[in-house]
Amino acid sequence: MTEPLIPPDVMRVSWGPQHPMSGQTRILLDIDGERVHKIIADLGFTHRGIEKILENRTFFQGVIPIERMVMADTANIGLGYITAIEEALGIQVPERAQWIRSLLCEMGRINSHLYAFGLQAEATGYFPAVFLWTTTDRTLLLDLFEELTGARWSYNFFLPGGVYKDFPERFQEKIIEAVHYLRRRFQDYWDAMVENAVFEMRCNDVAVLKPEDAIYLGATGPVLRGSGIAMDVRRDEPYAAYGDLDFQVITEQACDVMARTKVRFKEIGQSLNMMEQIANEIPGGEIRARASPFMRGKEAEVLSRVETARGELQIHLYTEATPNPYRVKINSPTLRNMYVFERLAELNEILVADIPVVINSIDPWYLDSDR
Amino acid sequence: MSEETIINRIKEAHRDQIESATVMRVKRLSVVVKNENFIEVAESLRDTFGFTQPAAGGGVDYPSENRMQMIYYITNPEDKVLLTYRINVPRDAPKLPSLTKVWEALSFHEREAHEMFGFEFEGHPNMIPFLLPPDWRGGHPLRKDFKGEGVTE
Amino acid sequence: MVEESKELRRNFDYVPGSGAVYNVIDYIAGWARKYSIWPIHLVTGCCGPEFMQTSGSEYDMERLGVLPFASVRQCDCIMVVGVLSRKMALRVKYLYEQMGEPKYVVSVGACPTGKGPFYDSYAVVAVDEVVPVDVYIPGCPPRPEAIIQGMMLLQEKIMKEKRIGVKE
Repeated sequence: MTEPLIPPDVMRVSWGPQHPMSGQTRILLDIDGERVHKIIADLGFTHRGIEKILENRTFFQGVIPIERMVMADTANIGLGYITAIEEALGIQVPERAQWIRSLLCEMGRINSHLYAFGLQAEATGYFPAVFLWTTTDRTLLLDLFEELTGARWSYNFFLPGGVYKDFPERFQEKIIEAVHYLRRRFQDYWDAMVENAVFEMRCNDVAVLKPEDAIYLGATGPVLRGSGIAMDVRRDEPYAAYGDLDFQVITEQACDVMARTKVRFKEIGQSLNMMEQIANEIPGGEIRARASPFMRGKEAEVLSRVETARGELQIHLYTEATPNPYRVKINSPTLRNMYVFERLAELNEILVADIPVVINSIDPWYLDSDR
Repeated sequence: MSEETIINRIKEAHRDQIESATVMRVKRLSVVVKNENFIEVAESLRDTFGFTQPAAGGGVDYPSENRMQMIYYITNPEDKVLLTYRINVPRDAPKLPSLTKVWEALSFHEREAHEMFGFEFEGHPNMIPFLLPPDWRGGHPLRKDFKGEGVTE
Repeated sequence: MVEESKELRRNFDYVPGSGAVYNVIDYIAGWARKYSIWPIHLVTGCCGPEFMQTSGSEYDMERLGVLPFASVRQCDCIMVVGVLSRKMALRVKYLYEQMGEPKYVVSVGACPTGKGPFYDSYAVVAVDEVVPVDVYIPGCPPRPEAIIQGMMLLQEKIMKEKRIGVKE
């Protein structure tokens, strides 16, 4: 391959593309005894060329490849593309559709954070019991998705102009029951994992990222908020129905692995509050504005931002008077966080046995960074 | 500070060094700079105007006008404003200096732009293949005249 | 092991009733092997979370004997779950050569079968350009019941083998 040469007195270990955690990537560690000197990330094992194939799809068809970037919260990523199209073509969305979109986004966020939490439990003390608890709790959310949209993971439910269908009957009561059940389980997880002596020993004061480093290196999402900086796109530029919902932006001051885990945890609590508020207060009205599947664009350039579970996603869209877009540029959150991961070995002293814990605190999803 | 104020102050400070500075919409700014003053204006944006958080970098291909444009996306954490910093280069000789001296985190994005479009960044510390396989012989995929599938062994 | 069993059969063909004994031995060997297929962890794409739900609590795959395992030298089967890009295809070939005989390949999802929604991409290959495949499971992502049906088809294929490792 074509990596930098190995310096003397150092051994290079390749954490190869096939490894027992999730995702495909190759990480090269330069180690000397137990201490890691340098981390080099070799990405690209899941590169699919999404930016090129979106130039061959119409606007309605383009949601399908973009949704397959992160499978665990497809709602947020699809919403980024759809808001860009609506702004470029000047389509107004009715209010009830915005509230339904926010509901699916929050459910997707809980889905993704539970998955990250299960992987963190498996990496830290090898607790496969907690990983299977999260699998069972996600089954509840997947059944709700299936009842509303027809698919469990990749629903293709957002259209330019609104959403596809309205709530079935008794759906709002089912959401409130699910929220009460998940709140009781939240307490179980907190007692079993976060207040556990083994977890605290492995996670406190490991991989500290100071606030000025976090901004300069371009961190985003829970990695940035775990270092005490309150930047969240839902609060800075409200989109969908977030201007009307009340929630708090969670930050922690400790800047280590434990702080990032706690940020994800408390965000699940905020999302549950938002789901309950939406189920109680959703306004009536239409759910879809008229937009033809064969519509042609006009000449425009739009840059839209949304907040996914891993950080901030930006979509820069160039349209012309054709049914396909001219150029779509996707700025993914995981690619920004992987640079922070490379620099962590130089800012701190990390041992080889800490590497799985540190990777899962950054929460990468390599399909997102390779596109 | 509002977006109009920021743009007017940038125009006053660098009148001859930028080609245009506009407000695209609420919280989105755009600055197109001339090729000679690329690094100077970037440093002043980072130090004086507070754009310290780099987000990404990518390119656009305009074959009919015989140019390619490289765009960097930078954020200001206090005012929460997003700036797109652009430079135009000719299509047959796309050379430009690397911005890793100013914002370190743009190193991954410049490697990707080199593979996908063919930009040559002078002064990049670590230009090795990033997303495509190391024995790729097929050309630059995101250009408009890329034909055919990938060519490896 | 394949050559020895052919030898033994030929030498004992004149003994009356030997066919019945060998049928019983083949049956027991097939029954033991089909209920302990160990695939390897190779989640290359977005069908990954659905695969993990299948080994989770509600659709438990381990009651059929399917336990995802980490090291390739001790596994029977490669389950290619998700999109296969060009950079990863070479590694899948290496993994296939490292597994011991008898070995199987299952392709889960629409993308490894025939490139799925990325049909005109420059960086995606289908799995049967790289390794020979036994079972194809379509879907995007396939439901857990579909993945379990695919594993049961593989089990029937193992039972039908006349001698160990000889695929029909």
